[in-house]
Amino acid sequence: MRSRIRRLAGAAALTRLCCLIAVLAAVGLLPWLSGRDPALAVLRARSAEQDPTEEALESVRRDLGLDAGPLSLLAGWASGLLHGDLGTSWVSGTEVLPSVVSGLQVSLALMGASLGVAVLLACALVAPVLVRGRASAGAWAAMLAAVPEFLLATVALLVFGVWLGWLPTSGWVGPQNMVLPAVALGVPAGGLLGRLVADALPAVLDERWVELWRGAGVSRARIAGAALRRVLPPLVPQFGMAAVGLTGGAVAVETVFAVPGIGRTALGAAKSQDLPLLQGSVLGLLALGLVTGALAAFTRRRLLGPALRDASLALPPVRPVRAHPAVPSALFAVLAVTIGWGLLRDPYAVNTTARLAAPSWTHPLGTDGLGRDVLARLGHGAASTVGTAAAVCLLSLLVALALGFLPRIAEGAADIANALPPVIVGILVAAVVGPGTGGAALAVALISWPALSAHAAALVQEVRASAFLTAQRAIGASPLWILTRHVLPSVAAPVARHALLRLPGIALALASLGFLGLGAQPPAPEWGLLLDESRAYVERAPWAALAPAVALALLAGLAVSGAALARGQRTRRATPAPVTKEAPVGV
Amino acid sequence: MTDDLLLDVRDLVVRYGPVTAVDGVSFSLAAGETLALNGPSGCGKSSTALAVLQLRRPAAGHVRFEGRELTTLSERELRPLRPRLQPVFQDPYGTLSPRHRIRDAIAEPLKVQGRWHPADGPARVAELLDRVGLDPAYGDRRPHELSGGQCQRAGIARALASGPRLLVLDEPVSSLDPSVRAGVLNLLAGLQDDLGLGYLFICHDRAVVRHFADRVVEMREGRVTSG
Repeated sequence: MRSRIRRLAGAAALTRLCCLIAVLAAVGLLPWLSGRDPALAVLRARSAEQDPTEEALESVRRDLGLDAGPLSLLAGWASGLLHGDLGTSWVSGTEVLPSVVSGLQVSLALMGASLGVAVLLACALVAPVLVRGRASAGAWAAMLAAVPEFLLATVALLVFGVWLGWLPTSGWVGPQNMVLPAVALGVPAGGLLGRLVADALPAVLDERWVELWRGAGVSRARIAGAALRRVLPPLVPQFGMAAVGLTGGAVAVETVFAVPGIGRTALGAAKSQDLPLLQGSVLGLLALGLVTGALAAFTRRRLLGPALRDASLALPPVRPVRAHPAVPSALFAVLAVTIGWGLLRDPYAVNTTARLAAPSWTHPLGTDGLGRDVLARLGHGAASTVGTAAAVCLLSLLVALALGFLPRIAEGAADIANALPPVIVGILVAAVVGPGTGGAALAVALISWPALSAHAAALVQEVRASAFLTAQRAIGASPLWILTRHVLPSVAAPVARHALLRLPGIALALASLGFLGLGAQPPAPEWGLLLDESRAYVERAPWAALAPAVALALLAGLAVSGAALARGQRTRRATPAPVTKEAPVGV
Repeated sequence: MTDDLLLDVRDLVVRYGPVTAVDGVSFSLAAGETLALNGPSGCGKSSTALAVLQLRRPAAGHVRFEGRELTTLSERELRPLRPRLQPVFQDPYGTLSPRHRIRDAIAEPLKVQGRWHPADGPARVAELLDRVGLDPAYGDRRPHELSGGQCQRAGIARALASGPRLLVLDEPVSSLDPSVRAGVLNLLAGLQDDLGLGYLFICHDRAVVRHFADRVVEMREGRVTSG
């Protein structure tokens, strides 16, 4: 048994290493992968007046080493990397390393502050559970965890920076600059941490030892401490993933608040096609994520010690919070009515006489900077966002079904996919194929399959172990017959339902890429893009920003309540079927 | 090795990793005969059954069925022979797909083996249901809508659909109530008389074995102790 576990771990480690190398190679090969002639971009950036003649382009190509082919390009980049040389920026001509290092310093400070915010918030969410012993702070924490950073950053900037004027809205001068970004980045992470702990605590507090300790007169504070000590270690890997998620959130938050961190550097480099700078900053972000992951693993080992080797310290199963189906249904109804109403209107009709109009009967949600109807843009944006999200869902469903049959390979790849925030994959994909809806969809699909494939793998294992598959072989059924008639149908339906419930979350990820300019391009009415565009005139027309912000918040609520509903259903179905009473035959 | 032997098992060995579940078991069985494998749980009865069915390939030994050696055949070569030796398992709910109607589960062997004709197929399924004492109306139900005894009868009908010569009955009545048990055993006895089937009957209940089997092979810790 133990050798089998070790073998499984070995296979996963191998695929993990392969995937990591593939990601690194993709970063290293960016100049070659991007297809479009980077020489042209460099020439334009360096001397705008020079004509792009063949000789000039050729000399730039020689300069950059693009004529040597992908392998020597990769070798050159890798050997430079080993010597601490990240190359020079194509646009500014300066060394990449110093800007990456200074960006990393800023981002680290920001992430440290936001981790502080996250821990404070998590404590606030967990405290009532510990004090009262029972009630879970689930719903609120889940809601906070689902709000994407870019939405929170925009709202915080509006409320505290613009309307109340309490705090500076941009720049990186003193500690006062750090407050809003740290809150925007820390609150979703804190919500996630708080929810994980608050979900796990009630089941742990129900364990026998708690009663025993109480009976022995141990103080409540010590019991609470011991319960936390019991809950935390198994959750550390998920904390690590939340910390990795911070690197993705940092891109959005730094962009909104104009913080000169590594995330903003990466995004700027992707947009200006400055590939060496992009390579350097993405490498910095990946290193940040990997170091956090390694720190999480190390912490877990220190906390658990030898118990880890026996894998015996699993948490008791979380008691599902029975989600009332009315919540997601109501959210869905509000969204559907708004979208349906908006679909009947024209999202592209420019009316310069009615710019930034307040909500009225003709424009129920007002108009934007070009006099376009906000409701119409919201409705049509939803249609395209949901359509793309559905395509992404389908793609990740297919990947998950395929990988469900190869759990060993999938496990290692899933680790890497989990370690990559969608924004970073979005930046990489945008650098290769250019920003656009297709690229954003590809980026989200690349990393949204692990949860589905884990579900599929569990189901495949369950079906394969069942006696009726043996019975199929006994009647002489071919493997193809068994696969298509029995295994796939019993796996595909539940996984497809699961994929459907992840649709709002995928739509949010797409919107965040749109917000950063990595997804749909103007004038397309995409929700993230709507929010981004409306930031420019938010003081004069807050409704133009408020409408997509509220819609995205509703979507986040739908994502949370739908997922809770799915969890409840799954656990309910796992209970064994009632034993049927025997009755006389042939009635 | 006479020709009237339906099944001849010699020196059968079945291993699960380092564990040897069956260690040199031999027995033979003629058409129309019931041979019981009897022994405590964990003695290798069910592993022997799976190895006879070639659902678990034996590590060593010979399984001759109707004069043909099965152990050397590939999975593909085995497939046309499989209909002739059919299992009936202990858990009647586990062996029928929970998502399919009883009618489809019984029709499936006909379809897999290319013997399904839309004209007379449904009538054939109804006939099989009737043969095992189930009202053909039960064909519309799913396994969980049947009682254990009804479900086991459906499992027997499904095994009969393949047109077998040998049924490997792996504890077919152990999970049933005593009152239902007799009904299923009587059904099996009647089928044997009518169709001349050979039964390899695996059971740990000595009283049932004595009543039902022509010969008994006792097993203990993977070996034959008497028989």
